[in-house]
Amino acid sequence: MSLREIPAHAIVRAVADAAQRWSDADFPPRVRLLDGIAQRTGYSVPVVEHALDQLFFSMSEPALRATIEGELGSLAALDGFVRREGRPRSWARGLERVAIISSRTTIGVAVAPAVFALCAKARVLVKDREDGLIGAFFATLAEELDDFREAARAQSWDSNATAEDLRTFDAVVAFGRTQTLAEIRATVGPEMRFIAYGPRASAGYVAREQLCDEGSARAIAQGAARDLVLYDAEGCMSLHALFVESGGSVSPTEFGRLLAEQVERASIEFPLGERQPAAAASVANARNLAAFRSATGHGTVFADERATYALFLNPPFDEAPLFLPRSVGIHAVESPAGAAAYLRRHGIALEAFALHDKCRSDVVAMAVDSGAVRLAQFGELQRPPLSGDHGGRPRIADFIRWIDNDL
Amino acid sequence: MSYGTEAAALDDDVLRVIGRWRRGRPLDDAAFDDLALRIFAHQLRYNAAYARYCGSLGVTLRALPATWAEIPPVPASAYKEATLATFDPARSALAFTTSGTTQDVGGRHYMETSALYDAALLAAFDRFVLADGLQLRYLNLVPNPHDRPESSLGYMMARVASARGDGETGWYVRGDDLFFDAFVNDVRAASARAVPVCIATTAFALVHVLDLCSRDDVRFALPPGSRIMETGGFKGRSRAVSRDELYAESARRFGLAREAIFAEYGMTELSSQYYDAVDSRNRATRVKASPPWLRPRVVGPDGKTLAPGTVGALAHVDLANRSSCVALLTEDLGLEVDGGIVLIGRERGAALRGCSLDAQELRAALHA
Repeated sequence: MSLREIPAHAIVRAVADAAQRWSDADFPPRVRLLDGIAQRTGYSVPVVEHALDQLFFSMSEPALRATIEGELGSLAALDGFVRREGRPRSWARGLERVAIISSRTTIGVAVAPAVFALCAKARVLVKDREDGLIGAFFATLAEELDDFREAARAQSWDSNATAEDLRTFDAVVAFGRTQTLAEIRATVGPEMRFIAYGPRASAGYVAREQLCDEGSARAIAQGAARDLVLYDAEGCMSLHALFVESGGSVSPTEFGRLLAEQVERASIEFPLGERQPAAAASVANARNLAAFRSATGHGTVFADERATYALFLNPPFDEAPLFLPRSVGIHAVESPAGAAAYLRRHGIALEAFALHDKCRSDVVAMAVDSGAVRLAQFGELQRPPLSGDHGGRPRIADFIRWIDNDL
Repeated sequence: MSYGTEAAALDDDVLRVIGRWRRGRPLDDAAFDDLALRIFAHQLRYNAAYARYCGSLGVTLRALPATWAEIPPVPASAYKEATLATFDPARSALAFTTSGTTQDVGGRHYMETSALYDAALLAAFDRFVLADGLQLRYLNLVPNPHDRPESSLGYMMARVASARGDGETGWYVRGDDLFFDAFVNDVRAASARAVPVCIATTAFALVHVLDLCSRDDVRFALPPGSRIMETGGFKGRSRAVSRDELYAESARRFGLAREAIFAEYGMTELSSQYYDAVDSRNRATRVKASPPWLRPRVVGPDGKTLAPGTVGALAHVDLANRSSCVALLTEDLGLEVDGGIVLIGRERGAALRGCSLDAQELRAALHA
């Protein structure tokens, strides 16, 4: 039987069941992969464990159902024509073949689009040149539902060999560098759906109202530290620029000190992994330069001796974010306009904005105008819910074509 | 002691070290330590920005380091942030501009006297490049100092050509233009007269020349004694080629033995240069050797010296930097080996990844 003949609810349940098995830290395939992922990414084992937990715990049956129903109206729309209020009967028929290309990503980035493409009953090929996570997860899917054996395949890829194959797919999802994405786009036909996730950054904004006392400031710093430390600030939803308003009881400088404390605490939960000499030298170099600036009257730096992290208070306005592991510039601003000016100056393509849940409307407006596709609380920046959109795009709607039935 | 007297005395001491080395006398550890620490103390007195930085690290005239290896190296990019000189730059004898890397802003390295720079560069050049004593014709694929007086590389080659050349020096780079035809004509003219040449070139200019040679099917047979001195990176101005590949193709194209092609490693922020050690030029891994007044340190993120063989950031103590900062921390990675250092390259941040973030690319785009 092909996946097409399986009811969507059964597919969703099988996916959720497989994800539940992977949520167990002792699940043997997960245990087998752990060291490999840590080695590839350079993250410590606790960080990898956290990433896998987050990935698979979120993939529950209710969450999958809610997402699909939110986008398509019902799960049954994937199985055949269904009534839609005030509209023709329609079928959300899944595309035949979907390719997902990911390389040099954080952990398991291809899993969510693969799962939703499978829920749409498409045959999915993931081309990934990293570790074996996606292949191992597909193997578990096949144990849950044999039809996945044919429908979900994972391959390693090299860019030359891949270009040719892509023309045979109905949709291509690609994560990667702008140049890589442009090359892939050039190889796919004009009718093909090309869903590209290019380089993006994220930012945070702390309004003066949230700096009314040290306790409130510390709570925000705690969340911001988590957003910075997790995945070494390498994810598109990591904290890459932080704006702190002046005029609160806690000054931006004091907030920087609190953040440094919290980064050190967060580093206990998420210890540093194996850092390459180049990365270590980059952070140390940036820290040393900031220390020089500080000594000559410009800005402040909070860092430890080994430069495992570095917080640059008031770096030059003309200096773009450095995108270094566990490092972030803290910009003291008078108002959201200051943050907007900085983001505009550097043309930063934003993914997410971390804010306090009770922040002012002008702050929210600035975050929206900045181009961010997600607003999140500090500490939650790197925990996008499965039921949310992905990079401003729907989760499953890109993998189906609507067939309206006017008969 | 007045500033002038102190500065002159230190300059004399450094010149004496250079002169002695020319006569085959080494510089022992104690003498290096002593001179480095005296120069550093002088800089704490007169180089305000450097002194403030050192002060922030707890190093002051009252708390001096015990050895040269404890002198705080100033980050190379600091030259873009402040004037780092012991004297009024308005009366500098030399001022070289660093390339802008962090904010597209170039820094300036001011030198109070050209005597140290000239003496240091000629002594090292004589030892590492002209050990055979040949008089060469210098064909330079580096900026002409008449066009770019702020280029330390151009200044260096002009000094070398003037002091050691045969009187017919060629310059083939102006701005982004490379005068390939003139270069080919001059190489052929030198070959026809059996005049050995030294082609001094940046890596990207050499790649460009090789590409043009390939396009026009040009080959040379350089006269015996000829050599190519390659001076550094690609800086995004040409296709990047591995050094092995670059040297192999250059050897084929110019009719040279591979060991006749070697690297000079210098920085605008230094007054002295490293060269591929002569005895490593026929080995797979080349070792950068320095004259004795220039010492490297390979340091970890905490600034401490790493064990030999461990990769870290390169710091240098250059006694010829008397009027700026004697200790410099670079963005280059390397490791210490017998006889010098092995250069790994410029640190470029972590091998960053993301769900869609490519930090290297973002960084490149934002800094463009």
